[in-house]
Amino acid sequence: MNEFKLAQPQSVGQATSFLSQKPKGCHIMAGGTDLLGEMKNGIIDAEVVVDLKSLPELSFIKREQNKVRVGALTPVSELAENSFIQNEYSVLYEAALSLATPQLRNVGTVGGNLCQRPRCWYYRDSQILCLKKGGHKCFAFNGRNKYHAILGGGPCFIVYPSDLAPALISLGAEVIIASSKKEKKIPLEEFYVLPKENLLQENILQPGEMLKEIQFPLKGSGEKSTYHKLKERGTWDFALVSAAVNAQITNQSFKEIRIILGGVAPIPWRAKKAESVIKGNRITQSLLQQAAQEELRDAVPLTDNAYKTKLVQSIMSQAALSLVKT
Amino acid sequence: MAEKKFNKKKESSPLSYHEEYRDKKTPQPQKTPSPEKERFTLISGYTPRIDGERIVTGKAPFTHDINLRGLLYGKILRSPHACAQIISMDLTKAKNLPGVKAVLQLKKEKVQYVGEQVAAVAAVNEFIAEKALKMIEVEYKTLPFVVTEEEAMKKDSPRVHENSNVQKFSDYSRGDVEKGYQEAHAVLEKTFKTEIEIHHPTETHGSVAKWEGDRLVVWDSTQAIHNVRNGLAKALNIPQSQVKVIKKYMGGGFGSKLGLNDYTMAAAKLAKITHNPVKIILSRKENSLTVGNRPSSIQTLKGGVKKDGTITSLSLINYTSGGIGRGDRCSEPMIDIYRCPHIKVNEYTVYTHTGPSRPTRAPGHVQGTFALESFLDELAAEIDMDPLELRKKNYTTKNEGGTGIPYSSKGLDQCYQIGAQKIGWHRRNKIPGQSNGRFRKGIGMGTQIWWGVGRPETLADVMLHPDGSVEAICGTQDLGTGTRTYMAVIPADTLGLKPQDITVKIGNTSYPWCGASGGSTTTPSVAPAIRDAAVKARDYLKKMAAEKLEIDSKNIGVADRKFFNQNNPNQSITFKELTEDLSREKVFHGEYVGRPSGYAYNTFGAHFAEVEVDTQTGKIKVIKVIAVHEIGRVMNKQTAESQVVGGITQGVSTALFEGRVMDPSIGTVLNPNLIDYKLATSYDSPEIEIHFVDIVDPRINNLGTKGLGEPPRIPIAAAISNAVYNAVGIHVKETPMTPDKVLQTLKEKEA
Ligand SMILES: Cc1cc2nc3c(=O)[nH]c(=O)nc-3n(C[C@H](O)[C@H](O)[C@H](O)COP(=O)(O)OP(=O)(O)OC[C@H]3O[C@@H](n4cnc5c(N)ncnc54)[C@H](O)[C@@H]3O)c2cc1C
Ligand code: SF4
Repeated sequence: MNEFKLAQPQSVGQATSFLSQKPKGCHIMAGGTDLLGEMKNGIIDAEVVVDLKSLPELSFIKREQNKVRVGALTPVSELAENSFIQNEYSVLYEAALSLATPQLRNVGTVGGNLCQRPRCWYYRDSQILCLKKGGHKCFAFNGRNKYHAILGGGPCFIVYPSDLAPALISLGAEVIIASSKKEKKIPLEEFYVLPKENLLQENILQPGEMLKEIQFPLKGSGEKSTYHKLKERGTWDFALVSAAVNAQITNQSFKEIRIILGGVAPIPWRAKKAESVIKGNRITQSLLQQAAQEELRDAVPLTDNAYKTKLVQSIMSQAALSLVKT
Repeated sequence: MAEKKFNKKKESSPLSYHEEYRDKKTPQPQKTPSPEKERFTLISGYTPRIDGERIVTGKAPFTHDINLRGLLYGKILRSPHACAQIISMDLTKAKNLPGVKAVLQLKKEKVQYVGEQVAAVAAVNEFIAEKALKMIEVEYKTLPFVVTEEEAMKKDSPRVHENSNVQKFSDYSRGDVEKGYQEAHAVLEKTFKTEIEIHHPTETHGSVAKWEGDRLVVWDSTQAIHNVRNGLAKALNIPQSQVKVIKKYMGGGFGSKLGLNDYTMAAAKLAKITHNPVKIILSRKENSLTVGNRPSSIQTLKGGVKKDGTITSLSLINYTSGGIGRGDRCSEPMIDIYRCPHIKVNEYTVYTHTGPSRPTRAPGHVQGTFALESFLDELAAEIDMDPLELRKKNYTTKNEGGTGIPYSSKGLDQCYQIGAQKIGWHRRNKIPGQSNGRFRKGIGMGTQIWWGVGRPETLADVMLHPDGSVEAICGTQDLGTGTRTYMAVIPADTLGLKPQDITVKIGNTSYPWCGASGGSTTTPSVAPAIRDAAVKARDYLKKMAAEKLEIDSKNIGVADRKFFNQNNPNQSITFKELTEDLSREKVFHGEYVGRPSGYAYNTFGAHFAEVEVDTQTGKIKVIKVIAVHEIGRVMNKQTAESQVVGGITQGVSTALFEGRVMDPSIGTVLNPNLIDYKLATSYDSPEIEIHFVDIVDPRINNLGTKGLGEPPRIPIAAAISNAVYNAVGIHVKETPMTPDKVLQTLKEKEA
């Protein structure tokens, strides 16, 4: 780890002004569960670390008239322990609970989770300079890629590792981005970018900007949601494939449905093709199979990850059917 | 030069492990010990770990915790290349960094794997040491390399050592396999693979070295204090008497801490130069790259069987790779365990440019058992036989498949019987894969054989103090398995005391000699030696008591901290009153003297597993495991059961999750951490039920006890593999059995 300066801002304004002064070697630290790993392993050389833990006012879960607001610094464990979230937003509760381990959930934050960096093992090796780190080659493409993308990949094939992102997108969440100049609100779905658009980062944050808050609408009537995550081992594991499903069910059919897949693409993958197959139709196993197949039409598996297509088929129908059963 | 010599020896470590720990010719005891006649109160009971509280409350000092005045921190620069020539190395900048006390070049010519040590730094803190590493300028000329077993086997692949990458290293044959195949009704051939595993003990490797004039003291996280001492003395060319190695507590080793390590040498050298103690603790990444691994294997088995289940022939061709080190001999279970007249084995080691192998908890037996036991279930299916019946049909009480000498004791038949009953063997699918639906359950089993004999000439002392306190002393080491606890239990039982009355002293080369803790040798070495010393102490005290009580010492009994007249228990004298008459402390020397030859001494066991396979996602869940072991007399059931739980957890872990991932084009390990190298978690642990067969080996030693370190690690992957086969009708044939491989296998079955 390099020597670095630690900045402990006393307000969001101060934080963003720190960030705007030294955009290059300046990194935001929330819980630090991801950032410190990157620093210790020599993947990033931070000059200044802006420690958001000095801003406890960014840690909250608030229910308002027509929306729920979650501060960026809220620990993941609080999402999992909040009874309102538990009762109303199964998808978010289940995603939070599926994530990492109790220790990491206590320390890791919602904002950090949404902004975490990829887990690609080539990216995480400080001695390998791949495309994402400004190099000339994606080593995963012809290398070992069992955990990599089957959808939306190229020229980099990471999968976006966050469990909370698919869940929040399924709820139609928006994020508030703060900078020293202004605040803006955009749908979380539009926060993430494919490598085709930007190889070096996974979201649209500009230097000097930070994620301040997440908002999502109150639960509509008949709305049901769930998060299913397939991992190799029982816990302490990123998703091989996951599915966040939020749907409005009437008369055994999905009036509205949002399906967001995790572990398959460089961004949380909105399965729009599958959604349109399902929407308005009577729910059957074969409909769901057909929907998955439709979505997977664009899938381009690499050498080691074709099995993920099978997992997508399984998890999509599993998750959707579980909403009908309960 | 001396150092080089040592490295050469290390390279052949898998074989020397075999030579060092396996049953071998021993000095003959003067009288047969007849341990089966002895009765005990504490031994074979449930005594909680005497150091358990210290460990879980963080009070027990591990090597990582050692802190000394003036301590410097050592860090090691490691090769980023799989194969390269070192052209030049410039240490100047690193030496000039304030806070750096010494910089040492460790490698001059060639590096052979990513992670090989090249140079070392000692500095006043870790931060500066790390910074200095980056300032060492090394110029390499990279050379062609090969890091996967399959690639290395190809003719034109880059050579790792002077000779071809594929080297014959273990051949065996008896009878005439071709004749056996002709006699068989069914002949089958299958290939099984196991991936390279990393030991990953909880505590990473580390040493602290300190010179006191010409004497060297080393605190080391090691399974073998005496080996480390001798290794250091040899490499540094100083007398063994001038080196002391101390190991207090450690968080496991599993074979990766069996001898002197290169970083320990670096610490000793840096400490010499700086005149300060130096501590080197390896990171998790360094642990993944450089301190050992379990070799992979590609095992092709062929077998012939008659309709009645008689195995006629077995053969094995094995390609096994342990990086720049040797592969593992995987054939022993096949050669030994089942009655079979014709056997042929050819094993080849395949060298690659990756870190050297080291013995890993039951080297060779783990891989060999996975393949052999899985294969036997397929043979059984060929002739429509219950796989357990097939094993019973070929049961033998003599080693080498019935062609050798008798086993001194063998309770495997009882393991089968207990295991089958407890798991509900009748519940399994009569035809593998006969059940339907998405989730399919299956039951399978695997047999275990291992060594587990003691090392003759192991010494231990029991010391009585006039104030009634007692010490049990032995130069062994506790890996976390419970050595300390039975070292208290045995003298306590012998002297009529409680375990807490005994002060146990281990982990110091100044104590009486004991070998490395490997090969399941520790208990059958240390327990008889300490028992011998305790019996001598007891007999001495009995004589004193006899004089006091004015009766024959033959009539003296010991219990409840008293020596009493067995004919009149009211007539007694307390242990404390007796020792008060000792004018000074008195030491009783004990020794494990050896066992009669003409018998084979082995441990046996069987694991029965129930699994559920999700045929949609390829995920295997191990529901339940019944483990039955025969290890002679159990010294302490409490810690023995923990040992079995540990073995099963590790076995589940490697059956389902663990495997080193190499990138063939860069030549580096892609999962040198505990996120991507996946160890089983508590969620993955099955329900575990443990049984020990009640057998006392009549001649192995004075307690009739055998070892347990490795046995519970051996049959579990096979039991899981066979349970999966029973569930879905096909073996996955490759560990780890991850969802991608399971789905691929199911696809092959459909096709
Ligand atoms: C062993 C392990 C297992 C894990 N398993 C999972 C898992 O199963 N699922 C999962 O989703 N994640 C997992 N994670 C990833 C991650 O650490 C956690 O999800 C956690 O929530 C991240 O939050 P943090 O506050 O610690 O982030 P930090 O480490 O503080 O930050 C992460 C990144 O986001 C940036 N950042 C943080 N906050 C902001 C902000 N407000 N605005 C802009 N940028 C910001 C940082 O600069 C940094 O680049 C795992 C991590 C580890 C180490
Ligand atoms: S997938 Fe992306 S991060 Fe991984 S090696 Fe390729 S370019 Fe680098």
